[in-house]
Amino acid sequence: MTTDDFDFEAEALSYMDQLYAAALRMTRHGADAEDLVQETYAKAFAAQDKFTPGTNLKAWLYRIQTNAFINTYRKKQREPKRSDAETVEDWQLAAAAEHTSSGLASAEEQALDSIGDDEVRRALAELSDDFRMAVYLSDVEGFAYKEIASIMDTPVGTVMSRLHRGRKLLREKLRDYAAERGIEEKPRVKKKEQQDGGGRHGQG
Amino acid sequence: MGKADCEEALDRLFEYIDHELPEDEVQRIGQHLKSCPPCETEHKINEKIKRLVNAAGSEVAPDDLRERVLATIRASHADH
Repeated sequence: MTTDDFDFEAEALSYMDQLYAAALRMTRHGADAEDLVQETYAKAFAAQDKFTPGTNLKAWLYRIQTNAFINTYRKKQREPKRSDAETVEDWQLAAAAEHTSSGLASAEEQALDSIGDDEVRRALAELSDDFRMAVYLSDVEGFAYKEIASIMDTPVGTVMSRLHRGRKLLREKLRDYAAERGIEEKPRVKKKEQQDGGGRHGQG
Repeated sequence: MGKADCEEALDRLFEYIDHELPEDEVQRIGQHLKSCPPCETEHKINEKIKRLVNAAGSEVAPDDLRERVLATIRASHADH
């Protein structure tokens, strides 16, 4: 394939919404996200000769953006969230390999139905950069582990561990939010009433 | 290959959800999940969270960003 058959510009630009969404999750800040996307495109266009048509352009752009984020914004932010990585001890990970009591777990599963986008975004924002990005790249962009490894420039095993830990923390945060809300609102719907799963019981 | 037990199923749950397992593993883990309600609940919780993250993920780039990026491209064309 020659560069004539491949419209790099149009193809690259078609990923702008996705890159912007990812940049928002990375930087947690609208203005920074815009700057990051602009920088990503500037770098991508400057390096377009290095892109091989027929390979994964989306992953290539994400790699550029991730590098730009690490090199520019992370330094600027001084990484206040880094501690997440250290606070998850191995014993906590080991605990993940057992299931919780089934009553608690099914209540938790139902509570997730009331979680809104804002809460999910807030929980994501509280994760460390590495965890947040791994979860985002997998869950939102649907990249395979191998692609995430390439984008984050890290071994697949590290990607799996980031996903594992990131999702575990995310789940704890969502559980906390649901519990906080439960305290504020008082339990008004008995769990059993929701077991048919389908219909919303509304304010009832 | 024998049947997967709880430990193995939970250990590989994320790979299962993320479609990272080969077909025979998918079968084994899937069979265990079907026969073990607590593991199946874990599976459902994690799958739900993945869907929640996915649903919260999309955003539309602001128009002025589009303009800025196009200006960047024009500038890079001018350099060549």
